[in-house]
Amino acid sequence: MPIKFEVPIFDVSSLGFRVNSQNILESLSFKIFSGEYDAIIGPNGGGKTTLIRLLLGLEKPTNGNIKIFGKRIEEFTNWDKIGYVPQRASHVDISFPATVLDVVKMGRTAKRGFFARYTKEDAACVEDAMRKMDVFDIKEKMIGTLSGGQRQRVMIARALASKPEVLILDEPNTGVDVKSQQRFYELLRALNRDEKITIIFITHDIGVIADDIKRLFTVNRKLLTCNNPKEAISCEDMSKLYGVEAHLLYHHHHHH
Amino acid sequence: MFEYDFMQRAFIAGFIIATLASISGSFVVLKRYSMMTETLAHSALVGVAVGLFAGLSPLWMAVIMSIFSAWLIEYLRSTFHLYSDAILAIFLSGGLALAIIIVSLGGAFNNSLFSYLFGSILAVSDDDLVSMAIFGSISLVLLLGFSKELFFIAYDEEVAITSGIKVKMLNYLLVTIVAVIIALSIRVVGTLLIGALMVIPSIAALQYRQGFLKTVLISLTFALSSVAIGMTLSYYYSLPSGATIVMSVILFFVISLVVNKR
Repeated sequence: MPIKFEVPIFDVSSLGFRVNSQNILESLSFKIFSGEYDAIIGPNGGGKTTLIRLLLGLEKPTNGNIKIFGKRIEEFTNWDKIGYVPQRASHVDISFPATVLDVVKMGRTAKRGFFARYTKEDAACVEDAMRKMDVFDIKEKMIGTLSGGQRQRVMIARALASKPEVLILDEPNTGVDVKSQQRFYELLRALNRDEKITIIFITHDIGVIADDIKRLFTVNRKLLTCNNPKEAISCEDMSKLYGVEAHLLYHHHHHH
Repeated sequence: MFEYDFMQRAFIAGFIIATLASISGSFVVLKRYSMMTETLAHSALVGVAVGLFAGLSPLWMAVIMSIFSAWLIEYLRSTFHLYSDAILAIFLSGGLALAIIIVSLGGAFNNSLFSYLFGSILAVSDDDLVSMAIFGSISLVLLLGFSKELFFIAYDEEVAITSGIKVKMLNYLLVTIVAVIIALSIRVVGTLLIGALMVIPSIAALQYRQGFLKTVLISLTFALSSVAIGMTLSYYYSLPSGATIVMSVILFFVISLVVNKR
């Protein structure tokens, strides 16, 4: 394949984030291109979530630059291209008065302005997203009555309803049983392969997904990018980056 | 009782308030802003006190004061990472304290203040009705127009931000609408009791575990019924209307709890 010029989805250079003069993230530089399927790992408090919050514009960098689709993040407006599935998705308020359909429709809200009603196109996107995530049959159920795995798929369906090019997920499997987890990763992989959606997710389950992720980002204040994740498990640098947390990761690996 | 003009005005005013309070209340409850209603009501009381003291319209002063407080609270909340319930507590007691000082300096108007605290079916003037109809319609149009966005924000504010919704602007809009509704309500329901009419119908409706639209409609039904029952009781037993309305709405809440017990 000839080398072609391609604008990266995320182009991050010397990114730093500081809170109360404490460095949370230091000089991170990387590019993520269309079609990637990347995992972010790292110890708790290492800055994983902060990194994706910066990429989503929820936090402002202290240093460095972020470009999204070639535009500086401050000037970027096409947020519907980026779907976000937050960590809290698994423990949403159980009495919130929303059906599965209500929640998935939120994915279309930003596309419609003041007083505008949902269009046929919206309905089609919503149905399509629900079918892909296999939640169409439960669309009239209240969100609070679902299992952790179902709720997680609803949150992804909402993100998909806006037809994103990128999906960013923060520990999507918190509170989801092992069987649902495997099914869940298969769904993610299918979205990446068949729909060409770029996927970036934070995870603890490196053992489960190490085989098919494209790149592994290890974040612990600094960033280490491993382009060949199969080797990453034994990567000495990674162990250094993790410090005392290293054995926890290995333990997790054996567990699966 | 409808042979009296004042009762007709009180019912119209009451139904306007019930509609606005229950619809806006649904967003307020889901956003965990329930305490905000109490706080803004106390700020509105400062406006009433200023109005009475300076001979200006208490209703208009209440609208201005509660909008001002709503913005200040929202600004403090987002700018200085203070505990939001603590900010509300400060404004609530501060508002009441300031109102009492102004009232005491004024001296003679304690009786009319009583009706602002607990509501009165006798208090609604034609001018009040006109103000309520104008501001009520604007508020309702904005609430319905942005209901999709406000619902999304109430469910998950951060995802709403990342999907490109102007969350900050809409949060300001919501507190402004709530401030206006509260200020308009104090004639009929009273400062100390308006919070209940905003919050309790929604909480009662939530017990039925329905989707959002049905929940709002149930809440609206409870609010309208409570106002009708409360005002009738107020008329026949000469009780402050705010108190009878709130007791009615609490009755609906208790029934909803019992009916939906699992």
